[in-house]
Amino acid sequence: MKRVRDSISKFRLAVYIAGLIVFIIFPLVADEYIRHIAILGMLFAVIASNWDLTLGYAGLFNFAHGAFFGLGAYTSGILAVRLGLSPWIGILAGVGVAVIVSAVVSIPAIRLRGIYVALITFAFSQLSVLLIVSQHTITGGLQGLVGVPSLSIGDFRFRDSRVAYFYLAGVFLLLSTLFLRRLVNSDFGLSLVALRDFEEYAISRGVPLSRQRFLSFVYSSIFTGAAGAIFAHYLLIASPEFFGFSFNTLFLSMLLVGGTATIYGPIVAGIALTYLSELLASLGPIRFMVVSVLIILTMRFFPKGLWGLINGRFTKRGSALPQFTDRAEDASQPAEIDTIQSQGSPSVEN
Amino acid sequence: MTIDFERIIAILVSGLVSGSLYALMASGLSLVWGTLGMFNFAHGALVMLGAYAAWYFSNPAGLGGGLLLGIPAAIVLIGVGGYVLYVLLVKPFVGRPGADLIVIITTIAGATFLQNGVQVVFGPRYKQLARVLTGEVRFFNTAVGFQDLIVILVAPTMLLLLALFLKRSKLGLAIRAVEQNYDSAQLVGINAGQVYPLTFAVSAILAAIAGILLGGLFFILPTMGSEPLLRAFIVVVFGGLGSLPGTIIGAYIIGLIESISGFFLTLYWAPVVLFAVLIFVMIVRPTGLMGRE
Repeated sequence: MKRVRDSISKFRLAVYIAGLIVFIIFPLVADEYIRHIAILGMLFAVIASNWDLTLGYAGLFNFAHGAFFGLGAYTSGILAVRLGLSPWIGILAGVGVAVIVSAVVSIPAIRLRGIYVALITFAFSQLSVLLIVSQHTITGGLQGLVGVPSLSIGDFRFRDSRVAYFYLAGVFLLLSTLFLRRLVNSDFGLSLVALRDFEEYAISRGVPLSRQRFLSFVYSSIFTGAAGAIFAHYLLIASPEFFGFSFNTLFLSMLLVGGTATIYGPIVAGIALTYLSELLASLGPIRFMVVSVLIILTMRFFPKGLWGLINGRFTKRGSALPQFTDRAEDASQPAEIDTIQSQGSPSVEN
Repeated sequence: MTIDFERIIAILVSGLVSGSLYALMASGLSLVWGTLGMFNFAHGALVMLGAYAAWYFSNPAGLGGGLLLGIPAAIVLIGVGGYVLYVLLVKPFVGRPGADLIVIITTIAGATFLQNGVQVVFGPRYKQLARVLTGEVRFFNTAVGFQDLIVILVAPTMLLLLALFLKRSKLGLAIRAVEQNYDSAQLVGINAGQVYPLTFAVSAILAAIAGILLGGLFFILPTMGSEPLLRAFIVVVFGGLGSLPGTIIGAYIIGLIESISGFFLTLYWAPVVLFAVLIFVMIVRPTGLMGRE
């Protein structure tokens, strides 16, 4: 047995090293356009997969997620353009603002049920963009904040070859994914799912509802705010469009097509859909129409998303949108009891 | 800044105009919520389509039929549009667990589709609807545009018609029956499967009327529905989900709050005041002014 395990871990190690080599070489051989799409894809994957925390795992109808991204972008952009602060400090400030705002939004959201959460969070994100547009001496108004500086270390500007942005976005995505994986597999992550699937029972077993929901909002905003700031320093602009229907729909499609409550699904779909959407970029508004149709078809035919589909086919244990799975059916399956008995101990792996 | 009579009239008129528009939009949303327990995030897109349809049928750059053709054509077209929207975006999910969340998502996607579709078809240039009446009347030395007056008068008339429709007509009664008790409604022979799409159509007609009125006041552009939709959401939460009287009263209160805060705190801070009011209501009285559990 030990030898088998050793060879598996060796195999894993080899995969990791191969992945790392590909990651390092890729931006050096790929042309600038592909590099650009890859950078966007990795940033969007971070945003979509962090949204999964509230919308997927906690089952909260949070539609303010796009605002955390937009506020991160504006915070860092304004600090750099108006006050001349270093973008690196700006990114941290962007995280700070996103975290504070998410904490504030979560307070009414905790107290309310389903649809009210959707309305409050949606209203919040739209009102915050109205406020940003109105303060045009600071934010640049409808035209957006232009002249946002590129990230740089010393005299080296990241923007010059985009390669540095590629590495930054890649490391950022990796950190975010490790963070999310750790979170959803922790007691905290399990308690979120418990609250989503059976609220009364979870509360009666001592899960603190308000605290967990509050934390799910705050945790989901950390990397999202940073992604917004990096995005602004990459595109060299912060625009009110970041809050609009089109961007939100794009992030939503990544989350849904990838599969909610799966983490990896939104990441894969995030990169794939960014590529698709950039391929269609020359079509202008039509690309958002294609994305919309994709969302509707996914909801109609693959409500668990593509990751859920693959997962469901091979392991019979897919995750899904809140309340999609029929609880009673799952619980009554005798197979579960058999496996527990035959293993002797009911410990849960993963 | 002195508060004189003219200013009060100006604030009042602008509050009533926005209140009327919000009431028209929010009552459509509220109707669908009460009957289906779902929110139509494409409602703002229907408002926008109403304005574009009226423009296309009436303007010489379109079919050139004048407002006499444009208004009824837009109402009929958007009514049918609401029916189609239900069939495509809502019907497949009715009865599924978690349908309310799915429908939020599909209607957001639908709204994005329509906004961008209109931009493809009509181009990004702003349009403007011809005015039914130009000119103004004077109340106490304050000029009030006829278009504003029309909005202030048409909206309550439409809401009255809606109330009559819901209280007197067979379909209206069926909608209310399904709203109150789905199972019993079916037991007395109401085909609930037909009531749902028709509710959507009625709601879409209200949206179209709001769009036509809006198109006479401001420029018509693909995103024109988003901001009123946002206000309508605030109104339904404020007035109480599923309560039509609460929604209408809430609409006028929100309209007046907006115009008063816009006047005293400049327009920029009106959104902040609105959100503060919303949060306050949610914390003190989560069911809204006249909502029920």
